[in-house]
Amino acid sequence: MTRTTAVEPRLNDALVIELAACLSADRVHTDHLERALYGRDASLMRGDAGVVCFPRTTAEVQAAVRVALRHGRAIVPRGSGTGLAGGAVPVQQPVLIVTTKMVDVEVDLANRVAWVQPGVINLDLTRQLRPLGFHFAPDPSSQQSCSLGGNVANNSGGPHCLAYGVTSAHIVAIEVVLPDGELAMLGGLGADPDGYDLRGAFVGSEGCLGIATRIAVRLTPNPPAVNTLLADFVEPAHAAAAVSAIIAAGVVPAAIEMMDQRITQAVEAFVGAGYPTDAGAILLVEVDGLPSGVAAETAIIEQVCREQGARSVRIAADEAERMLLWKGRKTAFGAVARVKPNYYLHDTVVPRTKLLDVLQQVYAIAERHELIVMNVFHAGDGNLHPLLVFDAAEPGILERVHAAGEQIVRASLEAGGVLSGEHGIGLEKQSFMAWQFTQPDLDAQARLRDAFDPHARFNPGKVLPAGSRCGDLAHLDAQHRDRLLADGVWV
Amino acid sequence: MKLPLVEQDLASCVSCGLCLPHCPTFRVTGEERYSPRGRIEAIRQVHIGNEPADASFIDMMDSCVQCRGCETACPSAVPFGRLMEAARQGLAEHTRYQPWYRRVGYRTLSHHRLVLVGSRLIALAQRLHLVPSRRLGLPDRLPLRATALRAVLAPAGAPRVWLHTGCVMDAWQRDVHSAALAVLRVMGVAVSLPKRTRAAGCCGALANHGGLVGIAREQAAATMRSFPGEDIVLVDSAGCGAQLKDVGHLLDTDDARRFSARVMDIHEWLAEHLDRLPPAPGPRPAHSVAVQDPCHLRHVQRAHLPVRRVLAPYLNLVELDDDGLCCGAGGAYSLLQPELAGQIRNRKLEAISHCGAAMVASANPGCSMHLAAAGLVVRHPVQLLAEALGLLDG
Repeated sequence: MTRTTAVEPRLNDALVIELAACLSADRVHTDHLERALYGRDASLMRGDAGVVCFPRTTAEVQAAVRVALRHGRAIVPRGSGTGLAGGAVPVQQPVLIVTTKMVDVEVDLANRVAWVQPGVINLDLTRQLRPLGFHFAPDPSSQQSCSLGGNVANNSGGPHCLAYGVTSAHIVAIEVVLPDGELAMLGGLGADPDGYDLRGAFVGSEGCLGIATRIAVRLTPNPPAVNTLLADFVEPAHAAAAVSAIIAAGVVPAAIEMMDQRITQAVEAFVGAGYPTDAGAILLVEVDGLPSGVAAETAIIEQVCREQGARSVRIAADEAERMLLWKGRKTAFGAVARVKPNYYLHDTVVPRTKLLDVLQQVYAIAERHELIVMNVFHAGDGNLHPLLVFDAAEPGILERVHAAGEQIVRASLEAGGVLSGEHGIGLEKQSFMAWQFTQPDLDAQARLRDAFDPHARFNPGKVLPAGSRCGDLAHLDAQHRDRLLADGVWV
Repeated sequence: MKLPLVEQDLASCVSCGLCLPHCPTFRVTGEERYSPRGRIEAIRQVHIGNEPADASFIDMMDSCVQCRGCETACPSAVPFGRLMEAARQGLAEHTRYQPWYRRVGYRTLSHHRLVLVGSRLIALAQRLHLVPSRRLGLPDRLPLRATALRAVLAPAGAPRVWLHTGCVMDAWQRDVHSAALAVLRVMGVAVSLPKRTRAAGCCGALANHGGLVGIAREQAAATMRSFPGEDIVLVDSAGCGAQLKDVGHLLDTDDARRFSARVMDIHEWLAEHLDRLPPAPGPRPAHSVAVQDPCHLRHVQRAHLPVRRVLAPYLNLVELDDDGLCCGAGGAYSLLQPELAGQIRNRKLEAISHCGAAMVASANPGCSMHLAAAGLVVRHPVQLLAEALGLLDG
């Protein structure tokens, strides 16, 4: 472990005094132990937070950004800190802008949107909308904890994004504090807002283009009928074939999730949903819509699964059983800790037709590195989540985990896939960017970032690897690592 | 500072953050320092990372209600309660976290006569308007005298149980015990009460939560001794029940483990003997009752569903839509952390007002006093049951 010494912020520092004047003294924290808590998110990486700020309003965010800029400090936005790619890990001892106290929701039924502050928790919004008959469609596994600001930053997906689309399809307008401290509205409630679609550029920008302070999210009507099916296969290959066969049969379910045997066993121990622990793989399929359509599609899916070799197809009898089936899927990541205390995963996306092929390579790679791998993923859109589970206390294991991770990414890209479906690039996958993108691609992305943030103040050291701009030295990996270490990051 | 914890417990947290919304103090502050994930990281930093156990660390630990809502939410099964108790034990042993007057206070609870006398003195002072009850979080009118409890006799062959009477609950809410005895009597059950001379009073829960493990062990052992034999021990206070079920772990002896296995929350036992309950004599009341789950019933004992099974035949129950989030009472928490406890209670009050119920059923004395202090009508489920059975007339 390497850690460079950094300057301790003190209460009488001009930076802290000015921040406290903009917010209030009790919402600007410099306590050493508390800053350590903000050194990490849900990933394995760690950095040093400089000052931790908890603004409540757009004006306070704007003021805090301006103070940080005046002092030449980097700025890292953070929501609930549930990201898996290190997107909220502080780099360069930044001013951390934590949005968890920004939780106002204003529903505008006439425009079928809700204006939310970025700290609102995804599931809280959906619950608040329930009596009105609506919900927010993207439902990441961390739905109960993750913030909508974080969903925008990572363009988050979720099981139900197969039919409904990922976060970008549900964000209508975003009020943004730009990296120069100015306020801008990207997108708008009209059908075709003026100018370039900068809203589209901002969604998924991982905190590098500014910070969202108010977000207009689209309200999706709750479907009148829902059916959830659990199909049980002996062979993972048959489950994978069933996924393609369902789509080929003309049905696009709201969700198709696949879990292999190891993860099914781990989750069943926690949830007790009645998952078959002797199955080679299970599929969780959900259809929604009008009752007659749901009944017809349920019948087709059941038949297709049986044709592809399902041993049984169970249809949730009521809402309680349905929620239980989903609870298993949604708590899968945490449940692996029952097997080993740590996990590491990538979220590459591969063409659905290559699913089986890549899955088999994933098993082979894990075996080569003598690692346990558990697969739970959005099968419908080919978004893999191979969880490598391990005990970090075992000497030399991190190297093996990282090597296996890299090979999984390579295998996915070679199959025509992409680096990340929804978790983001963050700190973790920067060095892989050059595997997917050519130098001109990276340069174009770097120039977009420069147009928003020419001094690289917002979430520096994330997403784009050093060397992305034409003319930068091209020794990506080595340089990337050196810079991280220089910035005080532990890996 | 090395804390008396199991390092494997510490390693089991993967920092996924799924606990955050289930933590009452995170809910009202939005700050990591007041979240289970943050507290675990702080414990790591102190235990492994050589951070000092300073005022900031004490604040992070002391602000935890110990509701253990994070445990039922945690997919990795992190034993948070154990970690928190270990952290507090370490603080109590090595810092000024527990000042002498609090230690004296916890010890006083061992002497039940003293508790009863003290309670009556406070009750008298209340009548003379000498005590700012609201500000201290006390019930408005503590009882001046209480009816004596009597064991229930039943013919040979009837089920036999003990009823745990406890310390503060016996002084302040003895009417709940009376209701429990009345219900058990109509069910034809023989009920024994701990002998006053032998009764320990407090089960040790409060001392244990405060990290004073030595006091907690003495109190738990004394309580255990007051229930000789093999009969089931019924507890009508969720906090005490959780503690008594954990005595096996706390004392780590075979006797203690056998004792813990005999402990049941009274609703668990009633739900297993529904056939002994008579039908309601009158028509079903029109009003509805909100079920508030005490955290130590729902998250620790995981025995909150029997309350519903027992009451549903007699009353219209409504559920709160807050995932069983804590009300902020937390034993002595509402006295020690009044500001956070008040903010947490506000969320609970909002959930209760949404559901439109006329009264609240709560199976824990701390919760019911904390909620009643905010102006709600709160009854113990056993009282509601006795009332529905027409046993509390006059």
